[in-house]
Amino acid sequence: MVKHIIPDTLSEALKYLYQGDFQVFAGGTDLMVQNRSWSETSIEFTKNMLYCFNLQELKGITAIDGRIEIGAMTPLETIMNHPDVPSLLSEAIGEMASPAIRHIATLAGNIGNASPAGDSLPVLILYDAWVELRNMAGFRMILLKDLIIGPRKTVMHPEEMIVKIVIPKHRFDFERFVKVGGRKADAISKVSFAGAVDIEDGKIADLRLTFGAVGKTVVRNETVEGAWIGMTISELKNGIWRLIDMYDPLILPIDDQRSNKHYRKTVAINLLRDFVDQL
Amino acid sequence: MQKDISISVNKIDNYEKISGCAKYVNDVQIEGALYAKTFRSPIISGEIVSITVPKLPDGYFAVDYRDVPGKNGVKIIKDDMPIFAEKILRYFGEPILLIVGPQKSVVQSLINKIILETKLIEPIYDESNIAINYHYEKGNPQNAFSSANRIFEYTYQTGYQEQAYIEPQGMIGYSEGDKITLIGSIQCPYYVKNAVLLALGCSSEQVRIIQPAVGGAFGGKEEFPSLMGCQLAVAINKIHKPIRLIYEREEDIEVTTKRHPAIIRMKAAVDSDNSLVAISSDIRLDGGAYLGLSNVVLSRAMIATTGAYTIPNVDCSGIVYLTNTVPNGAFRGFGAPQIFYAVEMFLNHIAKDLGIDPLDFKMKHLAKQGDLTSTSGTFRDPILMNDLIKRALEISDYRRKSQKYKLENQLRGMGISLFFHGCGFTGSGEATIIKAQVKLHKDEQDNVDILIAAVDMGQGVRTTMSKIVAHTLGIPMDKVRFPYPDTDFVPDSGPTVASRTTMIVGGLVAKAAQKMHDRWQNGVADTVIEQYVQPDYIVWDEATFHGDAYPAYSWGVNIVDVSVDKVTNQVTLEEAWSVYDLGKAIDDLVIKGQAEGGITQGFAYGYLENMEVKNGKVRQKNMTDYIIPTALDTTKITTELIDNPHAGGPYGAKGAGELTLIGGAPAVAMAIENAIFRRVHNIPVTPESIMELIEYGNR
Amino acid sequence: MAIVKFTLNHQPVTVQSDLNRRLLDVIRNDFNLKGLKEGCGEGECGACAVLINHEIVNSCLFVLANVEGKEVITIEEFAKTKRFTVIKEAFAKMGAVQCGFCTPGMVIATESLLHKNPHPTEMEIKVALSGNLCRCTGYNMIVEAIQEAAKAGEGLW
Repeated sequence: MVKHIIPDTLSEALKYLYQGDFQVFAGGTDLMVQNRSWSETSIEFTKNMLYCFNLQELKGITAIDGRIEIGAMTPLETIMNHPDVPSLLSEAIGEMASPAIRHIATLAGNIGNASPAGDSLPVLILYDAWVELRNMAGFRMILLKDLIIGPRKTVMHPEEMIVKIVIPKHRFDFERFVKVGGRKADAISKVSFAGAVDIEDGKIADLRLTFGAVGKTVVRNETVEGAWIGMTISELKNGIWRLIDMYDPLILPIDDQRSNKHYRKTVAINLLRDFVDQL
Repeated sequence: MQKDISISVNKIDNYEKISGCAKYVNDVQIEGALYAKTFRSPIISGEIVSITVPKLPDGYFAVDYRDVPGKNGVKIIKDDMPIFAEKILRYFGEPILLIVGPQKSVVQSLINKIILETKLIEPIYDESNIAINYHYEKGNPQNAFSSANRIFEYTYQTGYQEQAYIEPQGMIGYSEGDKITLIGSIQCPYYVKNAVLLALGCSSEQVRIIQPAVGGAFGGKEEFPSLMGCQLAVAINKIHKPIRLIYEREEDIEVTTKRHPAIIRMKAAVDSDNSLVAISSDIRLDGGAYLGLSNVVLSRAMIATTGAYTIPNVDCSGIVYLTNTVPNGAFRGFGAPQIFYAVEMFLNHIAKDLGIDPLDFKMKHLAKQGDLTSTSGTFRDPILMNDLIKRALEISDYRRKSQKYKLENQLRGMGISLFFHGCGFTGSGEATIIKAQVKLHKDEQDNVDILIAAVDMGQGVRTTMSKIVAHTLGIPMDKVRFPYPDTDFVPDSGPTVASRTTMIVGGLVAKAAQKMHDRWQNGVADTVIEQYVQPDYIVWDEATFHGDAYPAYSWGVNIVDVSVDKVTNQVTLEEAWSVYDLGKAIDDLVIKGQAEGGITQGFAYGYLENMEVKNGKVRQKNMTDYIIPTALDTTKITTELIDNPHAGGPYGAKGAGELTLIGGAPAVAMAIENAIFRRVHNIPVTPESIMELIEYGNR
Repeated sequence: MAIVKFTLNHQPVTVQSDLNRRLLDVIRNDFNLKGLKEGCGEGECGACAVLINHEIVNSCLFVLANVEGKEVITIEEFAKTKRFTVIKEAFAKMGAVQCGFCTPGMVIATESLLHKNPHPTEMEIKVALSGNLCRCTGYNMIVEAIQEAAKAGEGLW
């Protein structure tokens, strides 16, 4: 018999996780669809469920010391409308699902679900977001980029849970997020792209580029990005062919019921080119 | 003076629907009802070797073909689809049996434990199993082609389309003595009734069909509910308890009928002054696993093969081939969206080949009053297409924008489509098959009940019929009642399909109301029954496709302005304009709703809605993957009407429901073609296909 | 089995039940409120929308365990308000209703929007409706109805 637990405190929740085989349930909008059974019957979860709705410690957004900390149980719509949340993240959230889902779903859930098409991931990874994981023994901070290692696969231990997402506060000189879905709202991404640039004294001081839904995980490559630091924008523009060549082997999409490889790859490259064009 | 009937009124079901009080089938409570779930074929094509149903606990039942007391075939046309599969399995998801019982979780676990042993048969997806083969000619096409100045030939393909009514299919039923009552989300109460009569082999008094509020249908609830009705009736006949059979979305998308994918080859002969002298067409519809209504869909497509134009010589063939895929069936437009897409694109492509303006080329060939139709019948009523086009061009600024976008070369384009829809059943179907009957009853308080089998599935029939009666009798709307159809009380006024309801049924209702009016006595009960009589000028030979296919035609022009994103190749509808001749609107707002909803489905059919069946299975099987438009995908739509009253319709009204869908796909496809400067042959024109066209061209 | 307490249409209620049920089923079956509908069961169509703490949510994705202590309003209760009357008249006037299956959800979406933003732009209305599918109307008449409601109900939100 599957257990259903609604802990009141984080430490209680962590105790259950330590005892084993619990699925953490945040907003649950993905879990409810993935496990759905015949209408009107109870959802047939295959693991013990740990519902985290009462964990006050995991709710809310704080801005401290140059970073934004988003509690794991904060609904997407709240995050989207928060003044301290980076605008690119708000924009990405605004393109996720619909208001009726954004009032339930969480960022931690989008991360934990680890879908290659998760819309918040390219932006969070672009911002070098960290995830704070907790277990009974303590906590560890891990870069989101290192947390997700494949479709629905993370390096989280079964007794760990995401308690917050930490985003370094930074305003880029130029930034952009584009989601390409099957329609203009309420769609799963075929491809997504996020890009950001900082310029100091006419030279590129920082360049970040991420691609979603074109590989097993979000594509970001710091070596490629680093190669352009210190160059001017016009050098970047002139080097667009080389930049595309660098990303070409990294973008490895699949065919599925929503789109095909060729389209995904071409659009990903087009988005990169367009981003550089717009600089 | 009586006011114009077109002026809108508050729809009679507005309040119950807005407040959530309207009862749809799944909202109907029946004490002690059991739940039924369908055990379906897990294979695409094969033979049942054995079925082992687990031991059923008390109160649980399995219902299969052996429980069918009458014929194990769903009455549609050829009754070729079994109610429950007996031996051969022809598509993935084909129903084999029902498990019925009081607890859903137990029913589900019993379904999961059924062991089915099968022998696979190589599935067929190509045209090797041809079920229907039609052909007709007009004039002398052989001569016209052999003496033609130039000949053009192109092939067009259209995809599946899912009706995607927001309320999934469902039916519940119960028995009282030897009588079975079914309540269902249906378009055609008497179709279900007649199908159940055949399945049970019982007498007419033993079957009653009731329609509750219906959450959208669009053809999807025309013939499919007959299958569910038969299954449920058979189960109730066996178990003698109330039973619910309600589909969920995925089941609904996977196993219910869809719009037929079509391959249409068109050939034209053009003489030296750029006149179209002959068209030859070959229309190939994938019927899916069973014939269903496919041959009628094919007929409607074939009859419209010359589009809105008069062409002296026609050679038209069509086939329906059967494949091991989900059966296809009725969907708003019923073959017309496929053929109008092909014809409109074809004339556009010929004009481009000839180096002349496509719209001028089309207008030169427009059908006029008195012309012979493709089937050598006569367009008897005035045709106002020139006025419709003129007005559409004015309000859209089509010519200037087309020119401007062409010069700018910024992936922006205008598209235009010209089209008609034949109102009512094809040929003499109304007289020979349907024989519609309507009834009005006045009680001693002078309340008038409209007793017809027409279903309000959102298109506003309850309001428009009430309006016709109130208007004709000169009484207030609240003295007129339109109870939900119940076959125990309403005569068979025919199915709610084929753009026949307002014109044919409404026409009969108006006649009955006139009779009641003429002998009206306050405080005296009265009943009037009116029967359909076919106008004697309608002569139709079904075997040769010769004569008048329809008593009247509604006409339309759609124009759309689109842009294509250069980075993502996504399409944005910038604005749309329509002008229609549907005789006369019984209610302006109802017609506006039909117009905007119809064109939205039509556009989406052309560029957005993508469904593929791969290895016998639907790939986009839920609302996440089968994309229909959201509020953000639509655009501003301007709709105008030009009155052209038809003598046979109430207050001059003709059909409206299907017409508004038909022109959407060709208009949007042409607009995309003009935007990307590549010829479009296949719909839907998805961003993926636009990318291919841009990269590789299409020759 | 567990006990869940929440407020349903301003009444405190207690449900003794599995926690892993959809709020949709609890409201429709345990409380016999049938105004919310199941159109897709996966959060796409919005026909099952209810207000929780005054915001629109899809009740088909909302697990019963999550409703503890929350305030749920369904169309049945909202239909008793002055705001509803304004919305109803606007929907009727602009022809926003056809089959009606999506309509209660559309009304809930309208209330959720106008509660936060009494003077929405056309774009804001479309965004607010983006999780409510309608197959009949093509949406414009619903958007116009919401514009009309915002105007006619000036001061109510």
